[in-house]
Amino acid sequence: MLRYTLKRIVGVIPTLIIVVTFVFFFVRMIPGDPARLVAGEQATLDQVEAVREQLGLNQSIPVQYAKYVGGLLRGDLGMSLRTKRPVITEIGARYANTMSLTVAALVWSTIVGVLLGVWSGKNRGKWQDFTGMTLAVSGISLPGFWVGFLLIMLFAVKLRWLPTTGAGSWKNLVLPAISLGTSIAAIIARFTRSSIVEVMKEDYIRTARAKGLKEKTVTWGHAFRNSMISVVTVVGLQFGFLLGGSVVTEAVFAFPGLGQLLIESVNYRDYPAIQSLILLFSLQFIIINLVVDILYAVLNPEIKLS
Amino acid sequence: MIGKKKAASAELNEKTDIKTPVSEMIRKFKKQKNAVVALFFILFLVFLAFFGEALVPFKINEYDYNAILQGPSGAHWFGTDEFGRDLFSRIICGTKISLAVGLSAVSVGAVCGTILGLLGGYYRGIVDSIIMRICDTLFAFPGIILAIAIVAILGSGIGNVVIAVAVFSTPTFARLVRGRTLALKNSVFVQAARNLGASDARILFRHILPGAVPEIIVQFTMSVGSSILTASSLSFLGMGAQPPTPEWGLLLSNGRNYMLTSMHCTLFPGLAIFLTVLSFNILGDGLRDALDPKLSD
Repeated sequence: MLRYTLKRIVGVIPTLIIVVTFVFFFVRMIPGDPARLVAGEQATLDQVEAVREQLGLNQSIPVQYAKYVGGLLRGDLGMSLRTKRPVITEIGARYANTMSLTVAALVWSTIVGVLLGVWSGKNRGKWQDFTGMTLAVSGISLPGFWVGFLLIMLFAVKLRWLPTTGAGSWKNLVLPAISLGTSIAAIIARFTRSSIVEVMKEDYIRTARAKGLKEKTVTWGHAFRNSMISVVTVVGLQFGFLLGGSVVTEAVFAFPGLGQLLIESVNYRDYPAIQSLILLFSLQFIIINLVVDILYAVLNPEIKLS
Repeated sequence: MIGKKKAASAELNEKTDIKTPVSEMIRKFKKQKNAVVALFFILFLVFLAFFGEALVPFKINEYDYNAILQGPSGAHWFGTDEFGRDLFSRIICGTKISLAVGLSAVSVGAVCGTILGLLGGYYRGIVDSIIMRICDTLFAFPGIILAIAIVAILGSGIGNVVIAVAVFSTPTFARLVRGRTLALKNSVFVQAARNLGASDARILFRHILPGAVPEIIVQFTMSVGSSILTASSLSFLGMGAQPPTPEWGLLLSNGRNYMLTSMHCTLFPGLAIFLTVLSFNILGDGLRDALDPKLSD
């Protein structure tokens, strides 16, 4: 087990190096002169050059790259061109918001998705299955930002139960989490259903029923437990997508998270911030995939052998 | 006597009716009622994309300052926007944009991904390693983040959105086709073709590719739905289509300014996106089930 885990961790390193390099060169392809941007429209050429030197942009690309990687290893992501504060501070201020939004969305969508999937899978081919899967395919097709607006109109404007925008209390999380999690709940429901359908064909389900176990025990104790491997995989992978999907949701609810920061940085061509954010999103994605892989091995003893 | 002859020719017909993967797929697909309905809805959307502009009651940018932000009525089915433009006409005309963006982006992605997958799976070695590394790198970004990064470099605009969506749909096709190529490469008919002296290109495109086509079609359909969603999300964020284009995501984004007083401005564009994406997803599901050998008739 330990060997497998170590092997997987070592296997991620080349991808990490490529991603860091990719992001570094990628961001330097963005048109526009950041030094001019920081110095301002009115600045003289000398002033612009001074700023360029200050930002280290006058150095050659390899030197910049070495400095960038060195900084990364020390946890230094550079200064934001927009706010003139360290990027790490900017990210830190918003990280908790995006995380709590993502986790809230993942929790509700997992619960709803699993229940809907088990309900559909258990009643394969019946009306419950049809209802559940119609809901699921609709959920996948819903634009998250549209769901967000509909929720705002209903719960914040008409009923006045919840705030429309901002962050801080749990009340601010409810609507964004619902709109962010809808499609994920639908995806989890589809996977859970097909996994339950497969498991229900197994001999041990027939044995469990033959033993006279209650249907509830058969469903949750036998069928669901055995389909959990694929459910865990899907939930884990969706966590990464949620982090990305939060960009749109945050824009709808003016939610001060990483997604908003990314949009603002792109609009301002704030290089250090853009590259750090893209790297952060991708890092989280890679780490989550790694954790899912390892979890998968823990849950499925067959994998360890190979 | 004649009856016997007929029966014999019917039998012959049945025998000559070769079951290819594609014809099998079509036969099974016809049994999926939902998917057939979705297909007809998509054909209807395609019709609107071509002829919608000629059929709608108002022009896309026909201003009417006497009818600003009106709710749905007999004259304006979906109401009007802040310039008094007819929302129904604008949404119908927007069909063309969403379909064009979704279809062209995924087509580019599918063609590039298929070629990369064929090459990687067939030749293996260094070519395969490089292609798969690139795919891994692209997979290391959540789709929308990669799209935002690409648009940040190229600048906002609908054409750049197409490029962005094409780039992140490429690796999915590459992996899919590579898997099929690996499986088919050592099959008897490919070996036979090789022994007969067929060139690599002929083997790849005439013998291996047809075996991957059903899966490519399914993935294509699914990807079109999600690409339309991503493209409209980017337009919504201000990175895609620019005003006064009647792109649905942009219409929705514009409508949010009047959300409190005129909810029709956000309701109808969102509904258009939803129904379009839904029909592609249902069609994709139907095609996938038609392809699944585990599902018997």
